[in-house]
Parts: sequence; structure tokens; C-alpha cells
Amino acid sequence: MWRYLIRRTLFQGVPVLLGFTFLLYLMITVAPGSPVSHLRGIPDLHPGVVAQRQAQLGVDQPFIVQYLRWLGRTLRGDLGRSFDSGRRPVADLIRERMPATILLSLASILLGWGIGIPIGILSARYQYSVFDYAITFFAFVGISIPSFFFGLILLYIFAAQLNVLPAGGFFMAGEARTLMGYFTYLILPALTLGLGTIASIARYMRASLLEVISQDYLRTARAKGLRENMVIYKHALRNALLPILTLIGFLIPTIFSGAVIVENIFAWPGLGSLAVQAVSERNYPVIMGINLMFAVLVFIGSIVADVSYAVADPRIRYD
Amino acid sequence: MLNKIFAVALVLLLVTSFGIAVQAETVQGGTFRYGMTTNPRGMFNPILYTEIYDGWVIDAVFDGLIEIDAELQPQPNLAESWEISADGLSITFHLNEGVKFHDGVEVTAKDVEYTYLTILHPEYTGVRYGNFRVLDGAEEYKAGETDFVPGIEVLDDYTIRFSTRQTFAPLLVQMNYGILPSHLLADIPVGQLEMADFNADPIGTGPFTFVEFSTGQHVILEANEEYFRGRPNIDTLVFQKVAAHAAPIYLQQNRVDFIEISPEHYPQVDVMDFVDIYVYEALNYSYIAFNLRQDRFADVHVRQALKYGFDRETYVDIILEGFGIVANAPMPQASWAFSDEAVHDYPYKPELASEMLAEAGWTESGDGVLEKDDMRLEFELLVPEGSRTDEQMALLFQQNMADLGVKVNLMFMDFSSTADRIDAREFDMFAMGWSLSVDPDPYGIWHSTVPWNDPGFYNDRSDELIEMGRSETDMETRQELYAEWQQLINRELPYIFLNYAVTIGAANGRVRGLDTDPGPYGPLVGRQLLRSVWLEQ
Repeated sequence: MWRYLIRRTLFQGVPVLLGFTFLLYLMITVAPGSPVSHLRGIPDLHPGVVAQRQAQLGVDQPFIVQYLRWLGRTLRGDLGRSFDSGRRPVADLIRERMPATILLSLASILLGWGIGIPIGILSARYQYSVFDYAITFFAFVGISIPSFFFGLILLYIFAAQLNVLPAGGFFMAGEARTLMGYFTYLILPALTLGLGTIASIARYMRASLLEVISQDYLRTARAKGLRENMVIYKHALRNALLPILTLIGFLIPTIFSGAVIVENIFAWPGLGSLAVQAVSERNYPVIMGINLMFAVLVFIGSIVADVSYAVADPRIRYD
Repeated sequence: MLNKIFAVALVLLLVTSFGIAVQAETVQGGTFRYGMTTNPRGMFNPILYTEIYDGWVIDAVFDGLIEIDAELQPQPNLAESWEISADGLSITFHLNEGVKFHDGVEVTAKDVEYTYLTILHPEYTGVRYGNFRVLDGAEEYKAGETDFVPGIEVLDDYTIRFSTRQTFAPLLVQMNYGILPSHLLADIPVGQLEMADFNADPIGTGPFTFVEFSTGQHVILEANEEYFRGRPNIDTLVFQKVAAHAAPIYLQQNRVDFIEISPEHYPQVDVMDFVDIYVYEALNYSYIAFNLRQDRFADVHVRQALKYGFDRETYVDIILEGFGIVANAPMPQASWAFSDEAVHDYPYKPELASEMLAEAGWTESGDGVLEKDDMRLEFELLVPEGSRTDEQMALLFQQNMADLGVKVNLMFMDFSSTADRIDAREFDMFAMGWSLSVDPDPYGIWHSTVPWNDPGFYNDRSDELIEMGRSETDMETRQELYAEWQQLINRELPYIFLNYAVTIGAANGRVRGLDTDPGPYGPLVGRQLLRSVWLEQ
């Protein structure tokens, strides 16, 4: 297992990450727009300042020079400094905002699994019932509805109309960090981000359980007189859950990309809102830093998924 | 639309005067939450910041030599007085004695010298050099030819003189940048200054001391008990990040005490009876620029016809909900240089527009688009994304132009990409806006030698007026020069001027002592906020 992990990281992870950062840097530099275009808003700007700024940031160099400089710095553990007027270290920006994004992602994963799995089970248990159809319909809507739209609807109902939840943000300055506080700030963004997960987990769970139910050993279990609940929850569920557990690895990228949109709707102080700002300002080091980190997390996610296969199913071995 | 603004202002005046009558006693204490829709960047350094939100924080933490009042005139601040020499070439400032930075060290002329000398330094990374290169010796110093700037002269601990080689009218009002503590910064190489920890944890002389900056969330400031102009009434000032689209909800939930709202939120906020609304003219205007390098736009009659053909009243009244003033020249009404004398207002007259185009020799082609020789009135309008009102304006423009036989292809792009195209001069027309500085000098945007002259507008008389305007120190003469210049631009139309902007500020009723006629920077910017505002407990 360890040998597998090392092999996987060295021969697959490293080349993929290298290729990814190369392509990403290429894309953001060939895209129109420049990291200094915000200077256009300053009426009294001295004409020499634009070129001077480009030289200071190093963006007057050809793409390959810029990329190799970035790579060299990054390999030494330095993600560089933000191109915006704040000039803060990218590592600091990420460190400050990471906890909020992780918290939001965990909350939405918990919601997704905590709600998705039970309703998927019930949906399979009572296949073709009204409940099953309702869940199928809900899942369809949940997967289709764009998160920015769903988020705004939630804001409108719970913040604007009912006035029971905040319109976004994450604790006001000086506000006590109570458990209830976490709940009120988290629930809407987590639900918005988690909706798609709930819906797809429910569908996967239903399909997986139905597949297991049709197998011979369950017919045997029924034949020896076990009650239906016993058949499903004791014998079928454990086997049906295995493929679902492995989904977590694949859901991580979806959650992160979703967070980018959801954080902007709810003024959530995480990486997603930073990423959007960085892209619109062509803030190369910040774009690279955030994406590199997401890429590493996605890679870890896929390893977790593979390993969880082996843990869940003794027939799968990697050695 | 003006009536609406005046009506609002009048009602507010009544509301506030009534409020003051009920509880005239100023109360000290409380936390004032100021909503901001964009993050500050954490560059709380007066000579290095570029974002307006960092500027708000800096305004509360630092003091300049002077401050700017509602009429955009200089008033004493760290400098208790100043005199301008008879030849107009130098300004001598006399500092208040005994003013202390938040760390207890006294402010002297050395700090003032450090602040302005740093701007001129060859390795300076900020954007303010253009404002001060007129100082005597600045260009040589910037080029690294000398270590000495005769234009900045410390006469004694509390006296400093700035001088220029030619008279430069805007200099005095530019002397409002916050003064930095040289004892904390002088050892840092100027090229490294933007990386200094100081910038995210600043120390100034201002009415508020810096407490905390939390990325993407808030900035917390506390009243400076020792402030030399008297302690502010409020104890804590919080700049709170809010989601722009949810601004009305933050007001409704009492999560912010003051926030600037967009016209589309006005109806929602207007019905909240505990919120007072303040409307004030800004130093901003928006426009559509022509690319005068193209032959089809070279004829001034074409430009004038297109302006007659665009229904800007509908844009302001409907799309902006009446919050704006139809513009006809590049001096906002909020500026003292504004003049509408002999400035034509180009009302919406589509028939006249068609006639003018026909007279200029444009005839309809097979597909209904106007043509002349090998030129065609079909062009692309670049519109930066992100503002719904701009997008609606562009659609209205497209429709109005189609009525004239002019085909407009709209191109919505993000700001940075739009800027790229404009810089490369690869555009037909584009829509954008300007936020102007305190001094009305239009040199940086309109002189034929500057890069921001995007339309490619070259006019000898315009250059002459601009040059005379910035070197004339008498304000009334400047007003006359700028009046003539506005008439010239209004006739030549390198831009189709759209509107002078107004800002809508919404304040919770518990906020008292707000200035109802605050000038273009609003009732809460800078020390105005800090002197008079208090919170009803």
C-alpha cells in the first residue's frame, strides 16, 4: 500500500501537477487583460508608471521566464506576493482564508451525506412509491438548479422576507463565536453548496442499494425468513455503502469549484471569493497559488478514493 | 430627475433637523459599522494605496497637512496655516506643535519631508509621482541624478516649504496625503516599503487608531483619546464587508449603520422608515468614447448627430432611477470648475440627428445601415461587464442608434480585457467612467500628450486652455478658462457624455450629526465623520 502511494505520487502526481501549473500559467498569461490595468482609473498617473510597475511585477518578461521564476520560487516554498496594491504574501492570503473554505466545504459534505444517504436508502426501500418519485424529482431539480440562483432564493426567503438569518458574511466584528452563531452563518451557504451533493448522493445510494437488493444472497436471506428491514439494513446496506464512500474523492473538486460561486453570493471570507477577485484582476501569483492548492487537494482526494476502495473491498489490492 | 434629488434632500433636511431638535445632546460611545462592498487590500499606507476602500481606512488613521472641505477647498489639519509666496512658486506650511503619532512620537517637518520625498524616490513603487514631479528638482531626483530635492525644504521642526519651477495650481489641494512616521519607516529601503508589515498595521496621527484587519471580513479602529482635534464621539469604527447585492438586507437587520447603495436598491431601502437616505453629487462621470483615429468619426457632425440620437434622459430617469445628472461636458457639477454657460445640452432629437447625418453625406445602403464613400456606420461598442445599469445603457444606445440607421454591435468584456483593447487603440467606441481628483485640472485625461487621451483628441486650443488652467493660481481666472474649455469639448465631443454620478448613502436613524450637504466625498469620509457623528444609544 505504501509503495503504491509513493509510486502514485511520484510518477503520477508530480507530472500532473507540473503539467497543470504550466498550462494554467500559459492560459492566464495569453488571456487578454493585464495585472496593471487597474492603473487606468488614476487620472493623474505619470505615463512611466505603467511600464515601471510591469517591470517590478516581472510581467514584462516572456511567459516561459515568468513561469520558470514562479516554479523556482514555489519549489522553494515561496508562493510569491499578490500583484494587487496590498502586495501581501500569497501564502498568508491562503492561510487566512483557508479555514473558512474548509469549514464551508465540510459543512456541505456533511449535509450532503447526512441527508443524501438516508433519503437514498428510503427511496430504494420504497421503490416506485410516491416518496421515491418525490425524491427523484427533487434530485433532478437539485442537480439542475444553478447554485447562484438557489443561493439568492434562500437569501430572499430567510434573510430578506423572514429576517431570521444573516444575509451573508461570517461573524460581525466583535460578535461572540457561539455554536448557534456558526449555525446561522453556515446554514444557507452550506445548503446552497450541498444541494447538488445531496441530490447526487441520494441518486447513487438508491441505485447502489437497488443493485445489491437484486442479488442472490439477499434472495437467500429472504428465503430463510429474515424480515425485510433486517435484509436491507443488515445485509444489503453495508455492501451498497461501499461504492458511495469512494465517491468522496470525486466530490471534492465539485465542492471547491462550487465554493467559488457560493462564497461570492454570501460574502463568505474564503478562498473562493479571493479567487474570483484574483481572476478578474489578473493577479497571477494568487490565481496560481489557489489553483495549485486546489489541485493538490483534488489529487489527495483521488488517492483517498482509491485507498478507500481497497479498504472497503478486500478483493482490491494495490500491491 | 434633479427634482427628485432635491426633494429627497429637502425631506432629509427636515428629518434630520427634527431629529436634532428632539435629542440635541451629543452622546459619546458606541460602535459605528460602515458597510463596504469590496475588500480593502491591507495597504493602509497613504502614499502606496490605490483602492478607495483602503483610502477610507487611511482617512481615519492618518492626517494630511490639509484636509478638503465640502466645497473642495483646502482647510488646515496637521498644518495650522500656510502661505503662498507672491510669485506663486512656493507654499510654506506651519505645523501644529505637539501632535503625536499613535505611538507617542511627535510629528515634525521631518515626517512631512520623508512622506513626500519617498513619493519622488527612484525606487518608489506607488502611483503618486505624477502629482508631485512639478516640485523643483523632482525629475532629477527621480532619475537618480541627485540626492537633493530643492523643492522640499525643512525650515525648522514645524515649518516646511514646497516649491515648483513653474506655478502649479493643483499643488496645494494635493497636499492632503496622510503623513507617515519617519521614525518607523526611514530605515526600510523605498523599493521594499510596499512589503512592510507597517502597511497592514499602520500608525498615524488620525482620530482613530488601528486595531485589526481581517481579510475579507472587517477592519476595526478605535477612538484616539489623544487626538489633537478632540476625541471622536464614537468609540469603535468598524468597516464591515458586505455582499453588494444584499446591502438592503444588512440595513434592515441593523448590521450596518451606513452604506452606499446602488440606484436599483433605492426602492427597497426607501421604504425602511428607520433609514435616512443622503444623496450627494460625486466627482464622477460616465461616457462613451469615440475613436477619432477612424475617418468616420472625424467629422464632428457625425459625433454631434449620434449624441442627439441617444436618449440620455431615459437612461438617467429610468435606468438610473433618476439618480444622476445628464452630462454634457467633462466637469461634474460637484466641481467648482463646472460651468453650463454656453454649453449645449443635446436633447434627444432623433429627427435632427438623421437630418445631420444626411447633410453630412451619409446615405442608407441596401441593408439599412448608413454609408458614405467606403465608410459605414456599423461599429463595435466595448462595455466592461459587471454593472447592470451600464449594460442596460448599452442596450438602449444600440436601439436608439438602430433608429438612425447606425448599427452598434455590443461587446461585453471584463474590465481588464476592455482596458487591453483600449490601450492598443483597437476599438471603435467604448463605455467607461472617470472618478476625478479634487482639483479640476483635466491635463491627465485630455492633454494631447497623455496616454489616457484614449479618443485621440488633439486640439491646440484645448491644450492651451489646459496648460493655462493648471499654471493659473487665481481661482476665478481658472474658472473662466475651464468654462471656455468645457464649451470647446462640448462642441467637439470626443466623448458622448452620459451622466454625472450621484452617490446614495443610506444611514440607520440612530446615526446623528451627519452633514446633510457633505460635498462629493459624502458625509462620512475623512474627519467629517469623526468630528461630528454620534450614535443615539
